[in-house]
Amino acid sequence: MRIIATLASLVLIGNPCVVGAAEAGKLPEPTGRQVDFHKDVLAILANSCAKCHAGGKQKGGFSIDTRESLLKGGESGPAVVVGKSEQSRLIELVAGLEPDTIMPAQGPRLTAEQVGLLRAWIDQGLPWEQGFTFKKVPSASLEPRRVTVPAPAAGSKSSNPIDLILESSLSSAGVKPAATSLVDTPPVASDRTYLRRVYLDLIGLVPSPDEADAFLQDRSGDKREKLVTRLLDDKQQYAAHWLTFWNDALRNDYRGTGYIDGGRLQITDWLAKSLADNLPYDQFVRQLINPTPESAGFIKGIVWRGVVNSSQVPPVQAAQNISQVFLGINLKCASCHDSFISDWKLADAYGLASVFADGPLEIHRCDQPTGKFAPMQFLFPQLGSIDAAAPKPQRLRQLAEVMTRSENGRLARTIVNRLWARLLGRGLVDPVDEMDNPPWNADLLDYLAGDLADHGYNLKHTISQIVGSRAYQLGSVDAGENSREDFVFRGPLVRRLSAEQFVDAVSSLTGIEYAPPAVKPAALITSGTSGSDEGSKANPVVQRASARASLVNADPLLIALGRSNREQVVTERPKTATTLQALELTNGTPLSTLLEKGAKKWAETADEPAKLVEQIYRRALSRTPSAAERTLALELLGPRPTAEGIEDLMWAIVMLPEFQLIY
Amino acid sequence: MNAIDRTHRLPWNRRDFLRTASAATLSALAAGDPRRILAAETEEKIRPTADTVIVLWMGGGMAATETFDPKLYTPFEKGLESNRVLSTFPSIDTSVDTIKFSQGLERTAAVMNRGTLIRSYTAGDLGFILHSRHQYHWHTGYAPPQTVAAPHIGSVIARTLGPLNPAVPAFIDIGQRFDVGEGEELKAFHQAGFLGGEYGPFLIPQADQAMASVRPPHGISPDRFENRYQFYKKLVAESPVGQLGSDYQKESLVRSLDNAHRLLSSPAAKAFDLSREPRESYDRYNTGQFGLGCLLARRLAEVGAPFIEVTTEYIPFKNWDTHDNGHTRLTDLKAMIDPPLSQLVLDLEARGLLNRTLIVLASEFSRDMMTEGRPDQQVKDQVEVPNVIQELKYYGMHRHFTAAGCVLLFGGGMKPGFLYGKTADERPCKTIENRVVIEDLHATIYRALGISPKLAYEIERRPFYVTRDGLGKPIQEVFA
Repeated sequence: MRIIATLASLVLIGNPCVVGAAEAGKLPEPTGRQVDFHKDVLAILANSCAKCHAGGKQKGGFSIDTRESLLKGGESGPAVVVGKSEQSRLIELVAGLEPDTIMPAQGPRLTAEQVGLLRAWIDQGLPWEQGFTFKKVPSASLEPRRVTVPAPAAGSKSSNPIDLILESSLSSAGVKPAATSLVDTPPVASDRTYLRRVYLDLIGLVPSPDEADAFLQDRSGDKREKLVTRLLDDKQQYAAHWLTFWNDALRNDYRGTGYIDGGRLQITDWLAKSLADNLPYDQFVRQLINPTPESAGFIKGIVWRGVVNSSQVPPVQAAQNISQVFLGINLKCASCHDSFISDWKLADAYGLASVFADGPLEIHRCDQPTGKFAPMQFLFPQLGSIDAAAPKPQRLRQLAEVMTRSENGRLARTIVNRLWARLLGRGLVDPVDEMDNPPWNADLLDYLAGDLADHGYNLKHTISQIVGSRAYQLGSVDAGENSREDFVFRGPLVRRLSAEQFVDAVSSLTGIEYAPPAVKPAALITSGTSGSDEGSKANPVVQRASARASLVNADPLLIALGRSNREQVVTERPKTATTLQALELTNGTPLSTLLEKGAKKWAETADEPAKLVEQIYRRALSRTPSAAERTLALELLGPRPTAEGIEDLMWAIVMLPEFQLIY
Repeated sequence: MNAIDRTHRLPWNRRDFLRTASAATLSALAAGDPRRILAAETEEKIRPTADTVIVLWMGGGMAATETFDPKLYTPFEKGLESNRVLSTFPSIDTSVDTIKFSQGLERTAAVMNRGTLIRSYTAGDLGFILHSRHQYHWHTGYAPPQTVAAPHIGSVIARTLGPLNPAVPAFIDIGQRFDVGEGEELKAFHQAGFLGGEYGPFLIPQADQAMASVRPPHGISPDRFENRYQFYKKLVAESPVGQLGSDYQKESLVRSLDNAHRLLSSPAAKAFDLSREPRESYDRYNTGQFGLGCLLARRLAEVGAPFIEVTTEYIPFKNWDTHDNGHTRLTDLKAMIDPPLSQLVLDLEARGLLNRTLIVLASEFSRDMMTEGRPDQQVKDQVEVPNVIQELKYYGMHRHFTAAGCVLLFGGGMKPGFLYGKTADERPCKTIENRVVIEDLHATIYRALGISPKLAYEIERRPFYVTRDGLGKPIQEVFA
């Protein structure tokens, strides 16, 4: 596996909450083996030296940011003599040979073993991991940035701003083989592929055969735009689909830990209504931070009975969660001690957490009280202040306002990046919860963020911008080839169906409702059915918004397919298939029951086998079977299809990658 | 059943693992699975003394003074002062002179010379008692809530060591149903957390239904099952998606299904079938679901399941959660665990597997008549205890006691016939010597498997240690 040469990877080795044992003595012997910079040395440097001599700090003029700066030494001369540790100043200091100038100046002394490792490291030529530096990744800017959309180049096939920005940055970046693909190859996805993709992405369902026919037969030039509009206008199905995403992010579940003691609150009704009404995102955020009783569950967090680690008391949970979800900031480290991977300090986390606290919130470092209190403020105090003396409801209102001020460009960037990642398989910034990472296209990120703000924080506007772009409409790309670094955009990645999409698709195929919904949000209750299938009255597609898989309780099948348990904020589901999941698909009761019931229903239609096969294919895959597939299926079914045969056919089809993946 | 080759993993060799690992595991590894981080001090290989762990979980709080750490016996009589009662059973001898058990554990007493008894396990101070929260703490080493999803110890072992036999799930959990009180809290730790679903538990909620987990779905004959799979393979080959070339996601799906199919049709799957066990042996174990779970665990250990947990099942106020009738119920509970526990030790020994298999019998905390929590920091009472006992139902250890508890260890390199830790003979019967906390107990289990307690996995660019903050210290004294 790849070793990531960043500051992040090294702090993993040492633990900031553990105090080592000091040990006195003379110069310990060098370790008698080849040392590894990454495994042996970094932990020592990070824990014992970096605080004063790295990340831009250079006490005594000495910095260990890079090998060069380390070699350069500090005010008292060179720090090391490569190859001769016994003559190196650094070793003298850390070994404590001079009682008045022992390094580290603060914190525990190095152990003899650690000194031995450093000696061996110097003796062995001071090996350094190529490219490694202690310098921290600069934080992303806070302010929104206006991006001028370039004029279309001659021959440009799109006038969508996303495409224009991509094309322009690609052409200015010089010759990147994959880059030209946006203009030339690969071509945009076929109508059938696009249809299935956009249905699944916008409302989470596969199209019914009639819907597919209507779209495929439509000859108008703007049929894709019309389809997008129609899907986004299907308020209930849209809400039922995006509910899953937001349930994960806001860790809203219908049952789960905490409920037994009243330590948790659902926000389902509020969430479903907000999504169905397409509540502007800034208002959405404000109502979660400064909630009504219906939306109070998010900042309430999950309260377990008993004593809780101070980094997980409800106000700190709230600070962590609003930072992660709305700003792509990880405050988890800084909730326990000053972060080693970012500039966030313990005081920042507590300053924000205090807003949610019912009384003074004493700072705890590594779960130990410090007797100190942080000034109450938002992570970016420049956006506005919060009146520490005001009662809590007023503070929450202030915080909600500060968070959603137009000067906070991070709010919009974070959500448009999440949408992009959902729709194209990978964020402009990756991972989506680390918004300080550089985007692969800053213009595009800033454009989308500004465009969202300009359009009243209308998420459907951004979604329709994205799915209307040629970039989204390209043929899909193998997800496995994309490394985190050196990412080059070539098209949307092949993605797995979510647990809920899979189950809904099987429900559509079988005409059987999967499970009774755990919740019945009023916003999703509808009298009629959507997606009714005129061609097959015997098998009406059961796909009312109120019967969607997003509304049922977690069960073994959904869990195996990656449904989050919603104990933590989750913004990306697992991307690979697992053996346990395949076992559940192969012999688990929920799926086999669904298929068995569905097959019985299909068997009752008494259609001739060829027609049956065709209908099943159209229902499942939005296409007719090939000649070879038809032959195989007919062979399986025989002249008089039984429910068993149909069940097996459907099982095999829903196991197909073509069914389980979004291409 | 053929014994599997247990030598290939000793010492653990990554290349061997990659050669034998399932394809899905491989793809998971390739796809940004949490990265393993080793501290410098763990560079020296720890020689494992076990390759298999069987946890026997006494869910609900097993009273130490009524089981493996008996104190002065005070028989029941009307008008008895509650505070006088430390044990409601007489003590019995074991095969180790220095160790006495509570009456009702005669068979286990006879095999005590094969194992180590820890009497000083001290549960976490989590405040107001919630069983499932303490169980979460025991099984992950972390008390919830946590900022990242802490993995179950079985998942850590599955992730770190990989399967012994690719056709057997690496983490099997037997005997816990989740449609019970606190079911959600139980689910919260029966999972692999951030390590990813590949390492999650293979759940067998009822031991006597184990075959249902590894056979075709109800109503599908083996022939039809195989036929269905072959048909699927043909369809995949014909799929137009496949013809456009392969992709990573597709491969991952197809291979995971291959794995599942291989597992279900593997000879090892017979291990799940308790009807294949000779009647006499089956009967020896059969004290109910827990006893059969022990039998199943033995059979699975034989085919190479590296981590198996069997629980007496936690259901609020049931089994070891004795809020009333403690004495009467303990008689039954001991009768439930004594035969299968001792038989498991003997059977593994007879098969030459005990020296590679570490059995750990444990509970989230102990119980006491008077103290709720620990003596110096009592917490909110949950059980009414009269000062004077007039009825038998009040005779027993009904409060939740965290200041001492028992852990039994057999095999896997543990010292035979050894006693570790000491508790006070007078109330409060708290730990007075060699306190063991969960970090140390986990470190001991990990040490037996050759895993460092300082091993960490990277999550959100920070380390997550397999023992909290990497602080666990193996109890060196218990190793032979």
